[in-house]
Amino acid sequence: MSSLHAVPEEVHKFSAEVGTSDPITVVGGRTQWNVGGTPDGSAREVTAPSGIWSHEPEEMTVRCGAGTTLRELSEQLAQHGQMVPFDMPPNATVGGALSVGRSGIRRLRYGHMRDLVLQIRHIDCNGKIVTSGGPTVKNVSGYDLCRLMVGSLGKLGCLAEVILRCLPKPQATRWLTGVIDPFEVYARLYRPSSILWNGEQVWVCLEGVSSDVEAEAALLDLTEVEGPPPLPSDGRFSVEPKALRNLSVDDTNWIAEIGVGIVHSDRPSKAQKISKTNESLMRELERRLDPNGRLNPGRQVVPL
Amino acid sequence: MKKVEINLGIPHDDLVSCVSCGLCLPHCPTYRVTQEESASPRGRIALMKHAESTGFIDEEFVEFMDACIQCRGCETACPAGVEFGSMMETTREALATQTSYQPWWRRLGYGILGRPTVLAFVSRVLALLQWIKVVPKKLGLPRIPVIQRPLVASGTDVWLFTGCIMDAWMRDTHRAVQRVVEATGAGVQFPNKAAACCGALHVHAGLGEDARLLAERTMTAFPGDAPILVDSAGCGAQLKEYGHLLGTELAEKFSTRVFDVHEWLAERLDELPEIQEASGRVAVQDPCHLRHVQKSHHAVYQVLGRYVEPVGLDDEGLCCGAGGAYSAFHQETASQVRDRKIESIRRAGAPEVASANPGCLLHLRAAGVEVRHPLEIIDSIMTKGG
Amino acid sequence: MQTSPHANILDDLRTVLGDRARDGDFELGLYGKDGSVLQGQASIVCLPVATAEVRQIVEICRKHDRPFLARGSGTGLAGGAVPVGDPVIIATAKMNQIIEVDLENRIAWVEPGVLNLDLTKELTPRGFHFAPDPSSQQVCSIGGNVANNSGGPHCLAYGVTSAHVAAIEVVLPDGSVTVLGDLSAEPPGYDLRGLFVGSEGTMGVATKVAVRLTPNPPAIRTLLLDFPDVRDGAATVSAIIAAGLIPAALEMMDKRAIEIVEAFVNAGYPTEADAVLLVELDGLPGGVEHGVEVVRSVAERHQVGNIRIAADNEERELLWKGRKNAFGAVARIKPDYYLHDTVVPRGKLVEVLDKVYKIADAYDLIAVNVFHAGDGNLHPILAYDSGEKGVLERVHAAGRAIITASIEAGGVLSGEHGIGLEKRDYMGMLFSAHDMATQDMVREAFDPQGFANPLKVLPSGSRCSDSFGQHVPDGAWV
Repeated sequence: MSSLHAVPEEVHKFSAEVGTSDPITVVGGRTQWNVGGTPDGSAREVTAPSGIWSHEPEEMTVRCGAGTTLRELSEQLAQHGQMVPFDMPPNATVGGALSVGRSGIRRLRYGHMRDLVLQIRHIDCNGKIVTSGGPTVKNVSGYDLCRLMVGSLGKLGCLAEVILRCLPKPQATRWLTGVIDPFEVYARLYRPSSILWNGEQVWVCLEGVSSDVEAEAALLDLTEVEGPPPLPSDGRFSVEPKALRNLSVDDTNWIAEIGVGIVHSDRPSKAQKISKTNESLMRELERRLDPNGRLNPGRQVVPL
Repeated sequence: MKKVEINLGIPHDDLVSCVSCGLCLPHCPTYRVTQEESASPRGRIALMKHAESTGFIDEEFVEFMDACIQCRGCETACPAGVEFGSMMETTREALATQTSYQPWWRRLGYGILGRPTVLAFVSRVLALLQWIKVVPKKLGLPRIPVIQRPLVASGTDVWLFTGCIMDAWMRDTHRAVQRVVEATGAGVQFPNKAAACCGALHVHAGLGEDARLLAERTMTAFPGDAPILVDSAGCGAQLKEYGHLLGTELAEKFSTRVFDVHEWLAERLDELPEIQEASGRVAVQDPCHLRHVQKSHHAVYQVLGRYVEPVGLDDEGLCCGAGGAYSAFHQETASQVRDRKIESIRRAGAPEVASANPGCLLHLRAAGVEVRHPLEIIDSIMTKGG
Repeated sequence: MQTSPHANILDDLRTVLGDRARDGDFELGLYGKDGSVLQGQASIVCLPVATAEVRQIVEICRKHDRPFLARGSGTGLAGGAVPVGDPVIIATAKMNQIIEVDLENRIAWVEPGVLNLDLTKELTPRGFHFAPDPSSQQVCSIGGNVANNSGGPHCLAYGVTSAHVAAIEVVLPDGSVTVLGDLSAEPPGYDLRGLFVGSEGTMGVATKVAVRLTPNPPAIRTLLLDFPDVRDGAATVSAIIAAGLIPAALEMMDKRAIEIVEAFVNAGYPTEADAVLLVELDGLPGGVEHGVEVVRSVAERHQVGNIRIAADNEERELLWKGRKNAFGAVARIKPDYYLHDTVVPRGKLVEVLDKVYKIADAYDLIAVNVFHAGDGNLHPILAYDSGEKGVLERVHAAGRAIITASIEAGGVLSGEHGIGLEKRDYMGMLFSAHDMATQDMVREAFDPQGFANPLKVLPSGSRCSDSFGQHVPDGAWV
C-alpha cells in the first residue's frame, strides 16, 4: 500500500494510550468542554496526537493529528493561501471541533464541517485503530463512518488522525452591517458567506474576488465593519431556516444564522427531541461500538 | 402462461449493441408513464435477447412488445447508436408470421388502407354518420367530407404524396400545402392510385410482406426524377426507409427523392412571399418520425419562423402517444402519454399549436387541443395577408 | 401439481399491491441486472407507489424470512441493485412525485423515484437546481443517488449527494418508518442521515428525501481545451488546483473518448487532439472571469492547443451532452465495456493514466478514459467483445490491476459508483479486517439479520450475519 495509506506511528501510540479497559476522556482545547454534559472527572484524561503530518497544497488536502490546534492548522494552510473554514477559537483542536460537530458562522457558504472530512482514524473502545473514508477528495468506499463520527462527542471512538479537504482562501472578505430585512438580503445575494441577525441588526459576510464582493456590497445599503459581532455563547439551538422569521426568544440576547437556522443565545437551550425509533438506533450504535461506555463518560449525544 | 416457439431473426450484432446503460429510459414515452422496465427500450431489448436465447415466448412477451409505440425516441437518446426501431420491426414481423399476434380483423383494417376505393367508401359512411351526429366527438375525427373534391395538378416540378387516411379525411391540408409550395413558384403534381398507402402502419404492425407490396406499388406512381414531397411525417419517414425495407437499388434511389415538405421549403425560404408583420407564437409539436427518424424537425421551425414565432416544447421530443394505430389499440397508455405532451404544450404558453403529422394532430385534437398542420397555419396567414 | 416456492409470499404481496407484485419469467429477467455487467436472479418484483406499501412489503418479507432489495432506475455500475441471496425486489421507480418545493428553506421533498434531471428541470425556472449531477442524471433517481452518495462533474465545487440531503424518510429493515436528519441545521443525536447516504440500500429503503437546493449561478463559462498529449492535459488539472482555483467542473477525455463522443453529438470536439479538458467556471462574474484567466494561463504553460469557450447555453449543453453520454457511446467501438471508478490524488493522474494504458495493452484490451479529472476520479473504460473467447478473464484481470495501481498511488476503490457487488471483495485492499468488522457493526445497528440488500458492500467474511447465502453470480469480481 502507498505511504498515504500507512498508519502513522503517533496513531499507534495513541491507541496504546487509550488502552482497552478504563474509562477515558479525550481532552482537546476545552473550548466546548460542556457540550453534551460535563465529562466525568474520574475518567482518565488522554490527548490525541498533534501535528500537521502532510499538507499537499496542490491536492488541497491536509492530514494532521486530531490534537492539532486550529491555530497550527490555519497557519500552515495560510502559507499556501488555503483554509479550513471552521471559525473557532485558535486553541480548539481539530479533533475537538469535529467531535462536537458545530460548524462555524460561514456555514451558509461552506457547508457543514463534516463535509470537509475525507478520512478519519479513530481508536475504538478496545484500543484498536479504525480507518474510515480515504485520503482522496472523493470517495465512496465502504460505509461512511466519517459523517457519523462528526458530532459524536467521542462516544463511538476517539479521533486520532484526520484528513481534511482545504479550500482556497478568498481574495477579499468584507463584513457589512446595518438595519435591513435579513431574508431579503439572503434572497438577493448569490452565496454570501454569512448573514447574522439579532432581530434588528444584520451582519453580512461577502467573500470572493474583489470585484464581485464590491458589486454585491453595492446592492446593499450597509456599512463596513471589522468582523462579526460577538456571539452569545451559553445557548445554541437550530430550527428550519424559515422558522427564524417567527423566532420567539424571550428577552435574551440572540443572534441567528440566516439561511442556516442556528440561533446563538445567552440562555442555555433545551435539547431538541429525538424520535423513539431514531433513539433506539443511536443506542444500538453506542451499544455495539462501546458496550461498556468507557469512552468519554459524562457527555451524551443522546440525552438520557 | 403458454409458451410458444419463436425465432425472432434479429441479427446478433444488433442484439448485443445495447449495453443496458439505461440512458434511453426517460426518452421512452411508455417508460415515462409506467416506470416499468418492461415498458422501456432497454427492457424490450433484454426481452428480445431472452426470447432469442431460449427460443420461446409467452403472452407476456407479446404484450410487452405490443406496448411499444415505435416512436424511436430511444434511438435519438442512445449514445451507442442502437437501431431499436429495426429490431422492434423485425420482432413484430416474427410475431405476425409465427404467432397469432395480428388477428384477422386487425389485418382486415390494415388491408383497407391500401385500397383507396374501399377506404373512400368507409370514409363516406363515416362522413354520413358524422352528419347525423352519431360519431362521438372524443374520437377526434376531423370533419370528413361527404363529397371529396379532387386535387388538381399545377405543374411537374414536385410530387406531393397524398397517402391513405390523410387523403380521405384531411385533403384540405394537402390543398393548403399545395398552395404554400406553389407560392415558391413550383408546380405540384399528384400520384395515381398506386400510391395508395406508404405502408408505415403495416411495418409497425409486423405485416412486412404487405408493407413491401405497398412500397413496390407506391414507387411506380412517381415516375421521373422530380422530388417527392410529403406533408405527413410518418409517411415521409416510411418512404425514406424504402431502401432499407426493400433492399433494392431502385428503392434506395427512390428514397433519396423523398423530402418532408418543410425540408424542401426550408431550402427555398427566400422564394416564399413576405408578409408585413410576423404574427403570434406557435407551439411546435415535433412528430417523432420527423424528429427521431427523419431528423428534420428543424425545418418546420425555419419555415414557420418566416411568419410566426415558433416555440419548441420542453420535453425533448417525447412522443405524444398517437403512434399510428397505437392510440386506437392502447387507449389508456396513449392518453397518459398525451397528457404529458399537453402539459408541455401548456407550459410553452402559445395560443396555437402546430404538428406536421396527421396522426399526432388527430390524437391531440381528440383531447381538445387546437392544433393545425404548420403549412395550414402559413397558408391562412398568406391568404389573409396576400 | 407443484406449487411455486414463492406462492405464499406472493399472495401476501398481492393483497397489498395487486398486480404490482410480479413474477412473470420475462419480466423477472429485467430486474436481475443494473447498469453493470453483473447478472443476478430476481424471483419477485414489487412496484410500490407509497411509503405505506414499502413498509408492508418489508413486513411481509420479514414474515416470510425473505430479504429485500430496493432499486431505483437500475443504472448503477457496481451491481448494487443486482439481486443475490434471492431478495424481493422493491422497485421505487413509480414513487416519482416531487412532493414539495420549499424555496424559503431551500429544500425539496421528493420521492425516491424522481429522476435527478427532472428535479433540476423543475427547479431551474425558480432559480435553483440539485447540485449532484451524475453522468446518468437524465435517468438516475434521487433514491439511487442517496444509496450511492452519487457525485458527478459538478461535485468538484459543490460536494457529493451527502452534502445535499437534509433528511430522509426510511423504511427500516424491521418495517418501522422513521426520518433520519431534519430540516434544522443541527439535528440532535448522531448523524444517521450521513451514515445512511451511501449505504447502498443495506440499511433500509429511502421513501422520501429532503434535498437541498442550490442557487443557479449568475454567470457560467464552459471551456474546451485541447492538448497534443494526454499528459499535458493531466498536468494542467493539477496545476489549476494548485493555483488555488476550484472550478465548478473539470473533466478530461482522451483521444478515443473524443472520437466516440464526437460521433454521437457532433459538437465539434477536436478529434485530432490527444486529450481535452472540459472546464466549467460558475458563480459571480468577476470570479468566473478570474477563473477563465487562471485556466488560460495555466493551460498555456502546458502546451494547450485551442481554447474554445462555449458561446451560449446551447453550445454549452452540447458539450456536456457529449461528456455525459460518453460511456454508452463506447459501444460504438466494441459491443461491451467495463467501466471502472477509482480515485487517485490529482498529482498522480499522469502516472496512473500511464499505467492504465499499459495495463490495457498488456491484456490486449482497448482503454478509453473520460473522467472527473478535478477530483482525481478516474473512469477507465475497458472496451471488449464478450463474444471473444476468454476475454472476460482478461477484463477482470486488467480491472484488478487498475484498482491495485490506483490504491498504490494513494487512491481509493470507488469515487462515486459504490462498492456493491463488484468491489466488495476488494474492500480488503483498502481496509483492515478490523475496519470492515467495525463498518459491519454499524450496519448491524440497522439490520442485524442482513435483510436489506444482502451480500453487498462488505466481503462475506467480514459480515457476521449473512443469513441469505453466499452465492455470487457469474461475472462478479471474486
